[in-house]
Amino acid sequence: MKKIRCNHLDQISECAKFVIDLSRHSPVWVFQGAMGAGKTTLIKAIASEMGVVDIVHSPTYGLVNEYEDLKGNSYYHFDFYRIEDLMEAVDMGVEEYFDSGKYCWIEWPEKIEGLLPEEFMKISIREVDRDIREICIMKQTNGGSK
Amino acid sequence: MTVNILAIESSCDETSASVISDGKVLNNIIATQSVHEKYGGVVPELASRAHQQHLIPVVHEAITNAGISKSELSAVGFTRGPGLMGALLVGGSFAKSFAFSLDLPLIEVNHMEAHILAHFIEDPRPSFPFICLTVSGGHTQLVLVRDYLDMEVIGETLDDAVGEAFDKTAKLLGLPYPGGPFLDRLAQEGDPKAFDFPVSSMKELNFSFSGIKTAVLYFLREKLREDAHFVENRKADICASVQHALIEMLLIKLKKAVKTFGITEVAIAGGVSANRGLRDALSVLSQRLGWNVYIPRLEYCTDNAAMIAMAAHFKYEKGIFCPLDVSPLAKMKIGIHE
Repeated sequence: MKKIRCNHLDQISECAKFVIDLSRHSPVWVFQGAMGAGKTTLIKAIASEMGVVDIVHSPTYGLVNEYEDLKGNSYYHFDFYRIEDLMEAVDMGVEEYFDSGKYCWIEWPEKIEGLLPEEFMKISIREVDRDIREICIMKQTNGGSK
Repeated sequence: MTVNILAIESSCDETSASVISDGKVLNNIIATQSVHEKYGGVVPELASRAHQQHLIPVVHEAITNAGISKSELSAVGFTRGPGLMGALLVGGSFAKSFAFSLDLPLIEVNHMEAHILAHFIEDPRPSFPFICLTVSGGHTQLVLVRDYLDMEVIGETLDDAVGEAFDKTAKLLGLPYPGGPFLDRLAQEGDPKAFDFPVSSMKELNFSFSGIKTAVLYFLREKLREDAHFVENRKADICASVQHALIEMLLIKLKKAVKTFGITEVAIAGGVSANRGLRDALSVLSQRLGWNVYIPRLEYCTDNAAMIAMAAHFKYEKGIFCPLDVSPLAKMKIGIHE
């Protein structure tokens, strides 16, 4: 597990780079943190570092957003906040998205735990103080983490 | 000869069908328990699969209710995007096979343009050019509308939609999801000036609603430390103050758009237009600044097929059809017609 401390919002692009370096080999990244911890904000910064040209906005209502970078690569941004039943996620085809090999950034993954692939990156955000966040990055494999 | 168009909407949660006859919307069938009872089913929640189960009953109901037969249809319209891919595929595939089997022309409709064109379903209708503020759980957009099919996005949210900001702050107050309508109701009894929440200032005509969620979170945490019953005791005042800040953010940009373009015809679209606080604030502003404000009936503000039918009608009149091999678009921009 690796950790980085974000002491102020103006350090977020630095933190995003740190997360990207550790995670780029896995396509599926899950983001954990309480409401207001800054999941969408961190994903915005990551997308910007990765060259996404679309506006990154919260997918709570639409469940998934698709973005592109200048080369035309797709990125998927999920939010399972309002999912109540695992089958709803199956029905929208999340497994096909996760198997697509494209980067998938997932907020509120707790709601769909059983559908996550064998290997993925877990990024958890903890609020230390008003402007300060601690970001932990770890690789999760079936049944374990390192 | 009468032009009858069948329209289908399935971009997110709602499955809906509508028939429009010579520009007059005859019905707007949205999948509900009562539609389903006739066919012996129940309404499943949210799932894309739900659209498959809803679609045939709602289409059948729309055609029967219109008092026409399938052979009297002139075209089929459907939501091509933007929306949830799985949901769009269900409606789109149905519309295409339906059009193919009856040898009818197909009309693709942009969901966001249709929200705006819902203003032409019934009187009073805005006159061109007008500015439309579309506010819902998934969208917050300012659009300059020059004509039925000539629109330009002049501002939009860079993070959360305003409806989402309502729902999530409501959740922080312990209200059930989606909590926007509950928050609105409680706000009626509270003092909008009781607490100050920051009003975000974005560049140009864009919006940002993610900051207020965090601001409310910190505010509540601090207050709860002093008084464990703070939320219970001041719920109405908190709701009124949050609502006031959110509406203020919408109105600042709306006023700016009106000023920038020198247009006082102002239309509101989308589900958040049901918000009482927004309606009251708009009515005050319209009197003070001499705006003409238009808000469709709620049935035409939330996701519905009547607005898709209305948009399909305008495209039919201009002879704008699409081939059977069009694919749904999860992302689809306003004003860009292929």
